[in-house]
Amino acid sequence: MSTIHIDPLEKRWLWAIGGMLAIFWGVQIYFAAAENMHPPSNVETIDSAKLHLSGEFAEENLGVKKEADGSYTVTMVAARYGFYPQEIEVPANTPVKLRIASFDVLHGVHVPFSNMNTMVVPGYVSEVHTQFQTPGSFPMICNEYCGLGHDYMYSKLHVTAGKS
Amino acid sequence: MNNKHIKTVVGVAGLAAAMMISPLFAAGHEAAVAGKAPSTNVAWTAEQVRFVAQGDKTRGAQLSESLFCASCHGNAGVAPSSNWPSLAGQRAEYVFKMLKDYKDGKRKGSHAAEIMTAEGQLVTDQDMADLAQFYASFPLPSLPEGVTFDTAMGEQITYLVRRGDGKRLLAPCQSCHVSNGEGQATDTPALAGQTPEYFIKTMQDYKTGARSNDVYSRMRLIAKVLTDEEIVQLAHYYAGMTAK
Repeated sequence: MSTIHIDPLEKRWLWAIGGMLAIFWGVQIYFAAAENMHPPSNVETIDSAKLHLSGEFAEENLGVKKEADGSYTVTMVAARYGFYPQEIEVPANTPVKLRIASFDVLHGVHVPFSNMNTMVVPGYVSEVHTQFQTPGSFPMICNEYCGLGHDYMYSKLHVTAGKS
Repeated sequence: MNNKHIKTVVGVAGLAAAMMISPLFAAGHEAAVAGKAPSTNVAWTAEQVRFVAQGDKTRGAQLSESLFCASCHGNAGVAPSSNWPSLAGQRAEYVFKMLKDYKDGKRKGSHAAEIMTAEGQLVTDQDMADLAQFYASFPLPSLPEGVTFDTAMGEQITYLVRRGDGKRLLAPCQSCHVSNGEGQATDTPALAGQTPEYFIKTMQDYKTGARSNDVYSRMRLIAKVLTDEEIVQLAHYYAGMTAK
């Protein structure tokens, strides 16, 4: 019976990698099972087909709201092909909570030069907490293929200087 | 008097009443939808899509006769006058949604809308699904022979239709209404072969906000940034398009 020659160093690395995999899987399984942690971080379901009829994502409830603690809540809808309201304005260096839901299919929302980036899955509300550092106008871009107009799906985010 | 006769009498009376009392209707609905109401009550849940799909086009044909739809929209859904929209080949979901929006007073802002709002009171949801399937069963209207349209801005308009205009946040028309103008699921309407006068009027109504039954203002935002000249040229572009 012939045996495959494996260099002892190679053998040690195989064990090391096997060990790393076991640790990472262990951590994931532990937190998924024991702490009920799973992506996306905000699991909140909603009926995407009925978004416009009532509640948080009804047409008149969209937009930017200033909270009592000085932070901002932005409520938006992603729908083929745009983000509504089409233009929003928030101050720089201020906590912003973005809540966004899809009216139709899978979308994504990404603001360049910021850490604002989330999937917008139909049937769920996506929530992101961030602070915009740089004043200026930025596009909000859809980064999940959503149909023929995907590469034209964007809206405008204006970040104003300083706290207001 | 059989059922058909009763329907005819109701239809005639309804149409006459609609034309007489439509200003009253409009006033009533203005108050009803002002403020916090959604732009449409139609939500495309799976059940709603299935409901429209089960519409009976044969029954729709009978209804279209008793309600005298053809007097404005033509026998096979091709409008005899360019003031009225052709409905031939229109997406069933779109026709259903419009009938529902008229009935609920969500689509208003013109005399024609007032007539349709009154007509809407005469039909049930099932009637709407049947009528929608009836009109969807025809092919899209094609350009009458010998008719041509001004296409002075041909290249610019084709560019707008195919590529949009990023500076104005304009997605290309064809990303929703598709390249042969036949519309798309669920309720994006077909535009191919539509009468230009009606197309222009519709876009102007979106522009001024007179028409506001587009969820999240999606069409109003587009119409607002189009120039009057572009609207005219787009109307000609789509009127001259023979859908495959």
